[in-house]
Amino acid sequence: MAVIWQQFLASFQFDSFFPLLAEVGVILTLMTALAAWNYIKENKFWYYILTLVYLLSTIVVILTDDWFFFLFAWEMVTLATTFMLAWSDWKLVRQYFVIQFSGSSILLFGALAANAFGYTEIGVIDSGALQFILIMGIGMKSGLFLFHFWLPPIHSEAPAPVSAVLSGWVVKLGYIFLLKVIPMKTGNTFLFLLGLAMIVYAGWQALRSADLKIMLAYSTVSQLGFIALAIGTGGQYAFYGAVLHIIAHGFAKTTLFISSGIWQKEYGTRIIYDFKDAISRRPITSAATILSFASLGAVVFTAGYNSKYLIKSAQTTGLLTTAVFFLLGLLSFLYVGRVVYFIFIKDQDYSNFIYDLKQGFNHHQIYTHDILALLTGMLGIIVVGFWPEMPGDILASLAAKDFYLIGGVRDTLLYLGISAYLFYNNNGFKVEARGNLSLENYLQLFLNFIYGLSRKSVKFDTEKIFETFFYNAIFNASKKLHDFVYQDFTLQLLWIPIFLSILLLWQQIYSYF
Amino acid sequence: MDIKILFLILVPLGTAFLIPFIDLINAKLRRFFVLLGILLESYLIISIIINNFGRLKNGDFFLQYYLGGWHPPLGIALVMDGLSLLFVVITALSLFLIVIYSIGYIGHHEGKYYVLYFLIAAASMGAILTADMFNIYVFIEMLTITSGALIGFKRSKEASAAAIKYLLYNVLAGLLFFLGVLLIYFNLGTLNMADISRNFTSLENGIKLFISAIFLTSILIKMGIFPFFFWLPKSYDTAPSPVTAVLAGILSKVYLYIFIRIFWTVIGFETLKVLNLNILLLDLALLSSFLGHVFALQSNNIKRLLGYSSIGHIGMILAVIMLNTEAGFYGGLLHIISHMFMKAGLFVACGYLLQYTRTHAYRDFKGVGIRNRPVFIAFIALLLSMIGMPPLLGFASKWYVLMAFLEARSYFGAFIVIFGSLTAVIYYLRYIAKGFEEVRLTEDDLKEEIYSRPLLSVLYREKIVSFITYSYTAIIIGFGLGFRFFDLPLNLSIESIMNVERYVEFLVGG
Repeated sequence: MAVIWQQFLASFQFDSFFPLLAEVGVILTLMTALAAWNYIKENKFWYYILTLVYLLSTIVVILTDDWFFFLFAWEMVTLATTFMLAWSDWKLVRQYFVIQFSGSSILLFGALAANAFGYTEIGVIDSGALQFILIMGIGMKSGLFLFHFWLPPIHSEAPAPVSAVLSGWVVKLGYIFLLKVIPMKTGNTFLFLLGLAMIVYAGWQALRSADLKIMLAYSTVSQLGFIALAIGTGGQYAFYGAVLHIIAHGFAKTTLFISSGIWQKEYGTRIIYDFKDAISRRPITSAATILSFASLGAVVFTAGYNSKYLIKSAQTTGLLTTAVFFLLGLLSFLYVGRVVYFIFIKDQDYSNFIYDLKQGFNHHQIYTHDILALLTGMLGIIVVGFWPEMPGDILASLAAKDFYLIGGVRDTLLYLGISAYLFYNNNGFKVEARGNLSLENYLQLFLNFIYGLSRKSVKFDTEKIFETFFYNAIFNASKKLHDFVYQDFTLQLLWIPIFLSILLLWQQIYSYF
Repeated sequence: MDIKILFLILVPLGTAFLIPFIDLINAKLRRFFVLLGILLESYLIISIIINNFGRLKNGDFFLQYYLGGWHPPLGIALVMDGLSLLFVVITALSLFLIVIYSIGYIGHHEGKYYVLYFLIAAASMGAILTADMFNIYVFIEMLTITSGALIGFKRSKEASAAAIKYLLYNVLAGLLFFLGVLLIYFNLGTLNMADISRNFTSLENGIKLFISAIFLTSILIKMGIFPFFFWLPKSYDTAPSPVTAVLAGILSKVYLYIFIRIFWTVIGFETLKVLNLNILLLDLALLSSFLGHVFALQSNNIKRLLGYSSIGHIGMILAVIMLNTEAGFYGGLLHIISHMFMKAGLFVACGYLLQYTRTHAYRDFKGVGIRNRPVFIAFIALLLSMIGMPPLLGFASKWYVLMAFLEARSYFGAFIVIFGSLTAVIYYLRYIAKGFEEVRLTEDDLKEEIYSRPLLSVLYREKIVSFITYSYTAIIIGFGLGFRFFDLPLNLSIESIMNVERYVEFLVGG
């Protein structure tokens, strides 16, 4: 026992930017724990026990360089967050568990393969094939493109503090792992392309959603795309940008999910068109929401601007790069601006604003815990926005880096102009609210597509089809094999002489091969 | 010369013979007597470990006892080296837990049950400790007959059918084993394992092949590897739960031990390699593992399902042992330990959970988890360990097995390990979900339930039964966190498997 304990302690590595990331993880977890104090009503004790387990194991995941403890701790993170979902629905627990477990097995396979090829500690891996396997391994857990299908349904249906945990930090663990594994000099082109696809696709989906939490979940995927792209680019500033973006997005998304829980309690809905008089009802939550959205949309002087500028500056310079990154920035600004537009600007009545503000007619009680959590998040965004080098000497070289703020101001103004024009002319891209996302609906869509190929339109009972598809197909296939092998008793006994003769003639049979 | 080794066999044997006489005095005294027997056995093991702790640490642990004072190669010797010690300790621990469980569970014909149970205990101890080929055959036959009788213990039609099938297979296997022993005696003129091991290489290739083939067939039948696993699920299903726990937890592991003893110590792995049989066996075991997991998917009966998954796990263990590397033995032995406790624990929990259901079928599993929530949670923990979730022992052992396969570049093996975990998720989750489904009883259901309730398996000491389930779960969780505790015994066992010369030297002196 003593040996494993020493091994465990010795496996911690405190170099590079990982201690900083671990600190941020702790701060974010404490924020969500604060926000959960009034959100979680039942079994509060168990919720906090799970949070504690989650907190300790994230630290291990980030800091350890031993494959075994890494996988172990990540499984603990998965288990803790899985059971946190139970405060919403046990169905989510089941789905999340199955998905995470399949992700874990790919990752386990990748880790063992890496181990077998001589990478006994977690560190830079040069082999392209191994990098590919590990990227696939974290893909399911961190929502890389095409593996992200589970993320919006589950992140939007989870209880608000749990979505804050999941979206703010759990999905980042995979990218933190990639920061250790992908060589800083070369990067990984495959990851770069995946990141680009994620930004565009999920950004488009975020622009098309009317539900605040679904929009936030899709924007998570989109922003994760920036991190994947940065790691895929390679180079010192790209990696710094990835670290900064992990931190910036962590603060912004945690704050946003916490405030989404508050908005949901305030209005009783998550549809953004129905939010009225937000500022006068809840000034601090509004400020936190606006600031975090500004950070997501890379408005200058916020954390998001710094990280995205670093990522942009690490690319090869040229007209194409400038144009592409301008458009990517515009996309995130559009989906962010649209929500702000609907919540705070469109159809709002600011004529009695000062009076309303003093009146404070909120419907749901304002708790100190929530306010504290939101203020922490805002503080984080502001600190990273103005001092990207941050306390400590890990990113100290960023203090001397020129962030080209004039260009930032120019871009922000341009974005503002374009989006104001687009929103004014297109009625703010108002779309119908989708039905609740769920993995069952996805299954249904998929099956409809498959059956649609035979030009028949049938209405399916998903529950039954899940059973049929998942169990009965497997069940019947294995039943057939079983019935084939299990003949009657005499034939079963016949195996003994057959086997004996195979053994005795094995030399001859072997020589044929 | 250490007489305690002899007593390891004599104590359960004596208990088995004395139980009928105790019955004549007072039937209630029997339970205390049974406990006394198993406690005495535990005391012997603990005292052996404590007395020889220094030698264990140095790695030169080797105890022997010559029956009747006849020195080998003439007489019969009992030998305890690192490997036997490990198996004796885990077997005795399992026997101990299951006997306490039986005190709570078996409510009828207890006298016969305990006699058979202690005969199994004596035979498994004997098979592990003996260093004589004929003696090992005697103990194997003893195991077969007693476990056959226990499988038919319920006396229902299915139980008798399963017992007859089991006996047919296993008596055939015993015959083959006997033939092998005879051939060895005719060719080498000795039955002592060390003596055979020294002279076996001098035989002709044809004879070697014939002897190896016969032993292989016989032991594969006993373990339930691919062409011969037909008897296994049926007998696991119909036997009472503690008996199934003994079958899955102890007997299959004892046969694995015998396999290792015969093919490493007596015949020698080099012989298998020369005959190219190791490749065949490796792939056969992996195929068997694959089939076991696939068949488990289609099973509509929880105990049969566990039987199929046993086939999968034993195939995997056999395959990883067949790699003949140190990592392979480490993973294989650790998985033997973890599978022993997981499977026995699962069957024990099943015995509790299925007490009021009509059959063991899937549809009757409905609502089981709601009725007995704490035991069901323990059951889930054991299932998760079978799947290989990290904080549990099953993860540690599967990890080492996987590492061994990857180290030997046997990717088919690595695939089978992961495939086993994934299929296990599918077939276990189905039962867990069913267990939490709420039951709405109609009147017909109720009538059927009342009239067809299996009266024989009504528990009358519920606390003991659930306590044993919890203790199995505690073992899985505790050793899952501290699996490095097995480091010393496992290394000792690997040393005694790999170092055959030492065994020969100690036993027959160079």
